[in-house]
Amino acid sequence: MQEATFLILTALAAGSQHGYGIISDVAQISDGRVRLRAGTLYSALDRLRIDGLITVDREEIVENRLRRYYRLTLEGCMQLAAEAARVQSNAATALARLGPAGGVAL
Amino acid sequence: MSDSAALERGYRRWLRCYPRAFRREHEAEMLTVLMAGARSDQRRLRAAECIDLLTGAIVMRVRPRVPRTNRSVFAVVQLMCLGAMLELATAMTLLVSLDQVRSNIVTSDPGFTAAAWQAVVTGQIDPLAISAGVAVLFLLWLAWAYGREKRWPGLAFALFFAATTWSLLGGLSRGSFVYAQADLAVAAVLWLVELAVFVLVVHQSLRRLALARSRPARAGTG
Repeated sequence: MQEATFLILTALAAGSQHGYGIISDVAQISDGRVRLRAGTLYSALDRLRIDGLITVDREEIVENRLRRYYRLTLEGCMQLAAEAARVQSNAATALARLGPAGGVAL
Repeated sequence: MSDSAALERGYRRWLRCYPRAFRREHEAEMLTVLMAGARSDQRRLRAAECIDLLTGAIVMRVRPRVPRTNRSVFAVVQLMCLGAMLELATAMTLLVSLDQVRSNIVTSDPGFTAAAWQAVVTGQIDPLAISAGVAVLFLLWLAWAYGREKRWPGLAFALFFAATTWSLLGGLSRGSFVYAQADLAVAAVLWLVELAVFVLVVHQSLRRLALARSRPARAGTG
């Protein structure tokens, strides 16, 4: 799973969000390292919808502008959980092997 | 005209690069996101925004529109694209190895003249290079359509594969052995890739047929 996809799914894990909310949340989760643009975001959202990992939750009109909220599907939750576990396991292995030399006491 | 109105018009203009169906569904919310992300004094699109929208539009137009879990469709699309690249490689190899082809012909026929070589180039080599170019575009088109779950590309590919095989066998029987070994090697790899696509396409069609037959039966028993 690509990092942007992982971060978008993570942004939706806490609840439904609209497009700009996802962009802001992804920037926050990644400490400003990943800044999605609209074209990239909607390509990813389209792919995730086709794959059945997210779905449209609801729509709102705010100041004459459409906001569409997306949420994770059950399949999306399962895939995000599996990917998070994989990343966590890899990170734990890396940190364990670095040991005290890496400045980490385990 | 206000800055934001000019900016919105600019965004709308770039969003026209997206497929119509996608625009119908997502243009309004994309505009919301784009306008929310713009600086308060921004009047024109930044270069990075244009590149991002253009890239997104190309991706939306080209990318297969089937779930990634449907691995067999993805495999067919990828192999068709590989086939297109190999068609291109076949044509390039043939053009690069023309001297080798000529010397092979001269070895087998010492009376082979320059005029006869010219006739071979215009009568066989040029049509082969042109048909390879057409095949590249045709295969890419089939891959694009197959990735959109259309049924006809499967049949079109089966006919293309039959024609390619017929032409290959005909060429070999007429003395294509005079071509350089590299030409024959690339052509053989290309044919094997096309065979793999053909097998996958037939397999999927049979599975679809079996599913279609089982549905009425299930409905009848249910």
